[in-house]
Amino acid sequence: MRDAPKYRRLFELRLGGARRSALDMDLEIESHIAMRIADLVRQGMTPEAARIAALARFGNFDAARARLQAGAYQRDKMLSHRDRLGAVLADVRYAVRQARRTPGFVAAVVITLALGIGANTAMFSIVDRLLFRAPAMLRNPSLTHRIYVADAYRGQTSYSAYIPYAQYIDFTNSTTAFRRFAQVNEVDLPIGAGAETRQMQVGVVTASFFDFFDAPPVLGRYYTPAEDRPPNGTPVAVLSYGLWQTRYGGARNVLGASIEIGATTYAIIGVAPRGFVGLWPGSPPAAFVPLAAYAPEISARMLGSGDRWWTTYGFTWAKVIAERKPTVSLATATADLSRAYARSYQAATATNPRMQPLALDRPRGIVASIISERGPNESNTAKVAMWITGVAVLVWLIACANVANLLLTRALRRRREIAVRLALGVSRARLASQLLIESFLFALGGGVIGVVVAQSGGALLRTQFLSGDARPAVTTDGRTLLYAGAAALLGGLLAGFAPLLQTQRVDLVGDLKAGVREGTYQQSRLRVVLLVLQGALSVVLLVGAGLFVRSLQEVNAVPLGFDATHVLTIDLAMRGVALDSAREIALRQRLLDAAGSIPDVTSATRQLSVPFLSHWAVQLYVPGIDSVARLGQFELNAVSSDYFKTMGTRIIVGRGIGEADRDGSPRAMVVSQSMARMLWPGGNPIGQCVRVQADTAPCTYVVGVADDIKAREIDNDPGLFYYLSAAQFHPDAGGLFVRTRGPAKDVQEEIRTHLQRVMPGMSYVEVWPMSELVDEQSRSWRLGATMFVVFGSLALLIAAIGLYSVIAYNVAQRTHELGVRAALGARIHDLMRLVVREAMQVAVLGVALGTATALVASPWVAPLLFRESPRDPWVFGIVAGVLFVVAALASFLPAQRAARADPMRALRSD
Amino acid sequence: MDDGLPLLKGTLDLLVLKTLSWGPMHGYAIATWLEERSDGTLGVDDSALYQALQRMEGRGWLAAEWGTTDNNRRARYYKLTAAGRRRLRDESATWMRYTQSVSSILSLASRTA
Repeated sequence: MRDAPKYRRLFELRLGGARRSALDMDLEIESHIAMRIADLVRQGMTPEAARIAALARFGNFDAARARLQAGAYQRDKMLSHRDRLGAVLADVRYAVRQARRTPGFVAAVVITLALGIGANTAMFSIVDRLLFRAPAMLRNPSLTHRIYVADAYRGQTSYSAYIPYAQYIDFTNSTTAFRRFAQVNEVDLPIGAGAETRQMQVGVVTASFFDFFDAPPVLGRYYTPAEDRPPNGTPVAVLSYGLWQTRYGGARNVLGASIEIGATTYAIIGVAPRGFVGLWPGSPPAAFVPLAAYAPEISARMLGSGDRWWTTYGFTWAKVIAERKPTVSLATATADLSRAYARSYQAATATNPRMQPLALDRPRGIVASIISERGPNESNTAKVAMWITGVAVLVWLIACANVANLLLTRALRRRREIAVRLALGVSRARLASQLLIESFLFALGGGVIGVVVAQSGGALLRTQFLSGDARPAVTTDGRTLLYAGAAALLGGLLAGFAPLLQTQRVDLVGDLKAGVREGTYQQSRLRVVLLVLQGALSVVLLVGAGLFVRSLQEVNAVPLGFDATHVLTIDLAMRGVALDSAREIALRQRLLDAAGSIPDVTSATRQLSVPFLSHWAVQLYVPGIDSVARLGQFELNAVSSDYFKTMGTRIIVGRGIGEADRDGSPRAMVVSQSMARMLWPGGNPIGQCVRVQADTAPCTYVVGVADDIKAREIDNDPGLFYYLSAAQFHPDAGGLFVRTRGPAKDVQEEIRTHLQRVMPGMSYVEVWPMSELVDEQSRSWRLGATMFVVFGSLALLIAAIGLYSVIAYNVAQRTHELGVRAALGARIHDLMRLVVREAMQVAVLGVALGTATALVASPWVAPLLFRESPRDPWVFGIVAGVLFVVAALASFLPAQRAARADPMRALRSD
Repeated sequence: MDDGLPLLKGTLDLLVLKTLSWGPMHGYAIATWLEERSDGTLGVDDSALYQALQRMEGRGWLAAEWGTTDNNRRARYYKLTAAGRRRLRDESATWMRYTQSVSSILSLASRTA
């Protein structure tokens, strides 16, 4: 009955589980009753009576039988669960046993996976915050929107998030698709008074803002629409939980206390709950104040006397958010908003006839995501973050390919073992499940370590993209952990797939016949392809790294014309302190003196404009030139005597601004080299007359020529810049530059404290390093360079591990062959070359494929680079070189082992 | 079995485990073995016995397979698993402690009465 098992399986398959259990039970009862009858008959009963008695022992027989049949089915179900669980546990035990025998292999797999998963998890936690996660505590995140308006101007559509208060009121009144609107802004304002004053973010929001959130105050209350009514509102403030804790120690009697925010003193009426950040997780506000209470402060500076901030359409400084009614579709809401905007626009045109007519402007309302990075004006950071995410996914793919390769290598090594197990009757499905379970265990290990990697190593990435409290903790965030888990599982599945394919092709007889060392040395095409792919992807990333590093070098090599590292910028915020011109001038002189008395300060100067931050330009008139304005934009700074020493800008000809250039003496001017060339080509600029602001103004004489500086942008700055004496041009405005002995950042706070003592009343100084402004200019390249270098190196490391392990495995497999070669007279040199050549072939293919890919991608990379060709042969050459060196190194150790191949041992073995 | 003592809840499991500790048996053998050892005082309903067997097999205390009796009849043989042996040890210890304390109290009560 050779075929019996097959029939039985067929039979078992045919019967449903419940029916089979019932049948089994019937057989058992039948045999029980038969035995009982036989016994009773032996004791003298008639068969008929015995049968009745036997059945009676079951009570109500039919009911008992049905109950037992059901019970048997339950039992069989439990048993099959137990079997399956047992099989899994056995597989886990088997996998752990295997892992213990090959710790190096396990380490390679787990570390590779961990690096890939860690890189991705770190990037995900960033991109998730930037692009996908709505602000916390929103009542209806999916129904809450930022409102933008789009206008066409000279054929160009521009999107604006800033909407006049009057328009916000129009939207509120004339739309039906929305449940509520709020107008919001986050403003950087001084909080507190005197030495305690700190610049902080303040949420300036309408009372309706708090209705968007499910965030009841922990203390007191939020303000009401009545307290937020134009023209002045009521000066009440809600503190953030953080400010309440740090500044008031969480005291409950804080309600009713007053707090200076900006130029106004507010009464504290409530404290927001912990974790409430409004719409600004990246820069959580320290307090919230009514929009109507702050608006007069800002409009006083910006608006003409005839305009009122709550009715004018010509003054925008805040954004609008809205909550859509759940029954209204996005398209309907957009149409509704556009209609309201068109109507509002018409009303605006009525008050301001200079506005573009409605038909030309084609106004549209846009109902966008509440996450501003997903709105119409996405930032550069978001773009770079998406790029880096793509890069991280590449690294993950490389890691998966690598693990697949490692598993494949081992599957080949285990061919004979697998053949034996198949021969012993282990089913292929069982074998496959075992391999998968192994992969999942690896994925688990890689995932856990990957999360740790993301938590610690990811700190670097997070500081590059996110600010303040938004830095997420990876290990405590559900979404991020979920992502890490998915990346790990998918990785395990992908990697586990390759060896699975292998088991399906096991040639039982051949593998069993082969010796231990045998199969002998099998080139697997799949493995080579995976290695080449890893190499190629590494090349792509390294080329990216190279291009960004070169760009960054180029950016840093651009001469700024001044030295930023040792300069602090000091600005004055008067906050309601009104001084007359003479006092303003005296205050600046006192600050200059105070700065000069600080030991860490080597020199100080006045300034009116700050490179990369603020700009001054006025009309210039030069005798003999029709229109100076047509020659370009000339920017100015008004400085005092030590300016050029403080900034480190070189005077080429003549002198700088000096003590002598005071009020009343002849007006002096220093021009940049480019400006001198532009205005007096070939001539001597010294002594030339320039009339500033009006052609009737007295002559300002050029006394010197200075080096060009970059003031607007690092690239393409025309360098048309000139300096006036602060004593002679707006002597009552501007701030200071201070040159420090050491790096400016280190003494920033010390200098701030010193200077703050000079400031009258509630006014205060703001101090920040000049280098921050300069760094901001090169930020995107630095970001790109850092990220590509980090991920490129990671990719290379992973590829190197992969190459090394595969070559090492091959050498181990070829011990016999290499021994024979050695016996036949091959020299050490020849044996090593044999091994290294194999690695080099992979490297060459990888470099070729990677180079081709990078070249194809170059048009997309070009706009991200700075004065750097995306086909820079140096970068490509160096990357190729690096890959060859790494390939050589990765194959060198195995090659040495190959060189030690012992002919005797090889021939004797097996 | 209206003339036997009713079984306390849970004791049937313990008795079956004890019975099987002598070696693999089929259901009928377990039933007769129990009747003989208790001189017929323990009334075992056959249906209850099989339910107990199913329950304990499902829990992994017993394992079963089809076999042939001496009289060449097919029957399902039950034997103790390692878990079942452990269970028997634990349960009998508990039972002993329980009955000892109950009987000591009962004997005390009869003396003072």
